[in-house]
Amino acid sequence: MQIKINKKEYEANENETVLDVCRREGVRIPTLCSFGKFKREAVCRLCLVEVNKSGRLVTSCTTKVAGGMEVETENENIQKARAINLELLWSDHAGKCVKCKKNRKCELQTLAEEYKIENFHFVPRRGEMTNAEENELLRDNWSRVVVDEKNPVVERDSQYCVECRRCINICPIKSYGFNHRAGDSVVGTPYNQPLDCIFCGACVKYCPTGALIDQGDINKIITDLDDGKLLSVAIVDAAVLESVGMELNGVKTVENLAGNLRSLGFEKVFDLSWGFQKYVEAVAEEIHPHHTGKKNPAKQRKFISSFCPSAELYIKKYFPELVKNIIDVKRPEEIMAEAVKKEYAKKEKINPKNIRVMLVSACTARKKLKDESIDHILTVRELGRIAREKKIEGVRFAGSVPDKFMNGANVKYAELHKYGKLSQLLTEKIKGDLVIGAANGVLEIENALNAELKKEKLHDFLEVMVCPGGCEKGGGQSMKI
Amino acid sequence: MENTKILTINWGKINPLKIGDYLAVGGYLALKKFVSEMKPDEAIEEIVASKLSGRGGAGYATGEKLKMVAESESHEKYFICNLDESEPGTYKDRMIADNNPQLLLEGIIIAALSIGAHKAYIYINGNYEKQKETLETARAQAHKKNFLGAGILGSAYDLDVEIFSGAGAYICGEETALINSIEGKRGEPRLRPPFPTEAGLFGKPTAVNNAETIANIPWIILNGGKKYAKIGASCSPGMKLYILGGSVKKPGVVEAPTGVTIRELVDDFGGGVTPGRDFWFAQIGGASGRLVLEKELDMPLTFSRDCQIPLGSGSILVVDKMANISDLILSWTEFFRRESCGKCVPCREGTFRLHEIALRLQDGEISERDKVAIKDILWTLESTTFCPLGRFAATAMRDAVEKLNLLDK
Ligand SMILES: Cc1cc2nc3c(=O)[nH]c(=O)nc-3n(C[C@H](O)[C@H](O)[C@H](O)COP(=O)(O)O)c2cc1C
Ligand code: SF4
Ligand code: FES
Repeated sequence: MQIKINKKEYEANENETVLDVCRREGVRIPTLCSFGKFKREAVCRLCLVEVNKSGRLVTSCTTKVAGGMEVETENENIQKARAINLELLWSDHAGKCVKCKKNRKCELQTLAEEYKIENFHFVPRRGEMTNAEENELLRDNWSRVVVDEKNPVVERDSQYCVECRRCINICPIKSYGFNHRAGDSVVGTPYNQPLDCIFCGACVKYCPTGALIDQGDINKIITDLDDGKLLSVAIVDAAVLESVGMELNGVKTVENLAGNLRSLGFEKVFDLSWGFQKYVEAVAEEIHPHHTGKKNPAKQRKFISSFCPSAELYIKKYFPELVKNIIDVKRPEEIMAEAVKKEYAKKEKINPKNIRVMLVSACTARKKLKDESIDHILTVRELGRIAREKKIEGVRFAGSVPDKFMNGANVKYAELHKYGKLSQLLTEKIKGDLVIGAANGVLEIENALNAELKKEKLHDFLEVMVCPGGCEKGGGQSMKI
Repeated sequence: MENTKILTINWGKINPLKIGDYLAVGGYLALKKFVSEMKPDEAIEEIVASKLSGRGGAGYATGEKLKMVAESESHEKYFICNLDESEPGTYKDRMIADNNPQLLLEGIIIAALSIGAHKAYIYINGNYEKQKETLETARAQAHKKNFLGAGILGSAYDLDVEIFSGAGAYICGEETALINSIEGKRGEPRLRPPFPTEAGLFGKPTAVNNAETIANIPWIILNGGKKYAKIGASCSPGMKLYILGGSVKKPGVVEAPTGVTIRELVDDFGGGVTPGRDFWFAQIGGASGRLVLEKELDMPLTFSRDCQIPLGSGSILVVDKMANISDLILSWTEFFRRESCGKCVPCREGTFRLHEIALRLQDGEISERDKVAIKDILWTLESTTFCPLGRFAATAMRDAVEKLNLLDK
């Protein structure tokens, strides 16, 4: 069907909303709550448009298209509504940007700039306040700020929350919800318990502001990087290339990334492929000794991949009876970090105590199950924060290549982070009559494991990844704002 | 005609805890007529003909709503009596439950059976503990008499009524929030469409009606819709409960036809303004109600869209010149700052900020910046919120600005 947006004709499909069409066609509409295919909550009230000159404002995210519809996305009222609603949100954030860890990567900040929100009628109602009178006035709001710093992966500070509900909708195990009501509403966990989840990081990835951020001591990392006595080693999972360009301006290739990492202070940059290869070999051995294809009946059946730490946490939480079936092999980065601190250190004659191994990863859950050989784990977002801190935000390096680790790895192992790759490599490697399967996303994993328990489908190997789409869509990736 | 009493006729005359008293004054004759002489759609046609409109505030045509649910194909349907009543100064539904719970039950049974529901809920405000007990007793007695349960009065009709106690949140009176609440979810409004009549409680077609609306139904079934349509204002006919409060001589709940004027209510039913006080303005319909000045008192109150003063819950609060406007504003803003569900930005943040300004106003100083903020917030509450509560939160303050010149001081 045809609809008109700002007097221009567009083709629209049944069941699309006005926002869908606008996004597809590049008509700018500000939004905070709608994202992806998730439930349209219609709570930010920024995407307002006017339809058929009705004089009323409606949310484009929920208004279905109809043939002949005429949509206006900019006029005086629309502008006014967006500006007032943004200002109401902004008054709670004004003056906090400089110390906020999401500074310059915040969707609210970007919108406030776009709509030139500069008059603050109000003082922030959440967070630190010094004036005694204001304290008195706003006393009861303080209790609403929930700060959760204990969590190894997600740092929560609800004073930055805009109640957009993305985390509530994205969380695969439904960790979040609303507590309290009206101006006391706070997005949090049931009874405000510390977040106890599977640490996939999706909520951090999608949070538009600084309310949910990566847990990690950036200052310590920078100190380590700058310390001349320490050898800083980056182990890079190539999955980060998917989004690293958003943090390090324009970086798209391993070469370019390697150059950038060096300029941030890493002395050595290794590609995780070596660890991937060792991991696949160890897993193959575990499922079928010497790749004969003959099953070893004496052994406890080990068939669930240990590659995704979030999946491991998920199984521990929801399928404890299957924990014994998880393949007992160290993860690629653990194998590699250990090799750096042992074989590599020996070969290069360096005291392992003077080596700092830092994993650059698209995964947040790895922080929860951190191996002792790894000193720091950095998500793509944290890499960006370091770069901004050091004022080196993406430089084009021609001819920079990662360092060769030991005797190098076979290129076919380079992309183990891709969903389905692990099962594919194992199928090639192990001859024989095997049932090899893969499941990604909590729903698929749940179904596969239930089928296992009911003995409907028994696997010799099951690849499980919590982030739908694998590490390339991992919770540690950066998001476009 | 104007002397007909439908809702309050037996108040104080019967013992609400004895079903026998209700039967003695003709109770359950409507249900008997419905079961033995009418088909469900005939009953609904009577309600359509009566032009009964919702007493919960919005004034939606009750017959049309019941018809929509009755005509949907689903085997599972629900009827819900909305007794959440949490508008400040409004206690008419409570009075119905207190004084004649069987009348309400009879209405619920007829309405539920006419749409083909096997289960009905009474969603009662959590603060109405005594009324809940009264209704429980009434239900048990009705059950014993076979007005409820399986094979009602020997027919093939089945109905189970459950009394569900809310937690006393204002927003849970909004029908989709109410449905969420019964389902065990957070009490916040849902996006529509789908409307409850298509996909309501547990995703099934559901009719939600206010308790007062329902209490009219037995009379309509017994006396016919046409007769009901002749009472009161022709655009939204019928009898209505008005709650007189504030500076009136005789405060309380009165039954009067729709279309009466505020002056008639205050002077004839309420005995006039409290002696020694000067009328300043009246607020119609609770904290979310509009303000009416002396010169507007002769406007008839109806549920019609053209009626400039929405009747809302039917409460009439008379405010005299001794009142302090900043106290009133503080009490309105406090109410909405507490009762907003917190789901959408303009209402959550706006009600919070209005209250903050109201506190400053009470301290005697608001800045020019605050005045601009008041205008902006009222505008966004009226124009951009997710559900009508946002608009409600702006109504009284808007009138204070425009009619009482709040900002010109
Ligand atoms: C914020 C809000 C609060 C409401 N509170 C009540 C209430 O307390 N009681 C009620 O019957 N209807 C209330 N309503 C109206 C209901 O949503 C619904 O329209 C009504 O129960 C339908 O019944 P009726 O058609 O018989 O009026 C409220 C609506 C809104 C938006
Ligand atoms: S207007 Fe918004 S915040 Fe207010 S009650 Fe409705 S949905 Fe909730
Ligand atoms: S995007 Fe439509 S209300 Fe938020």
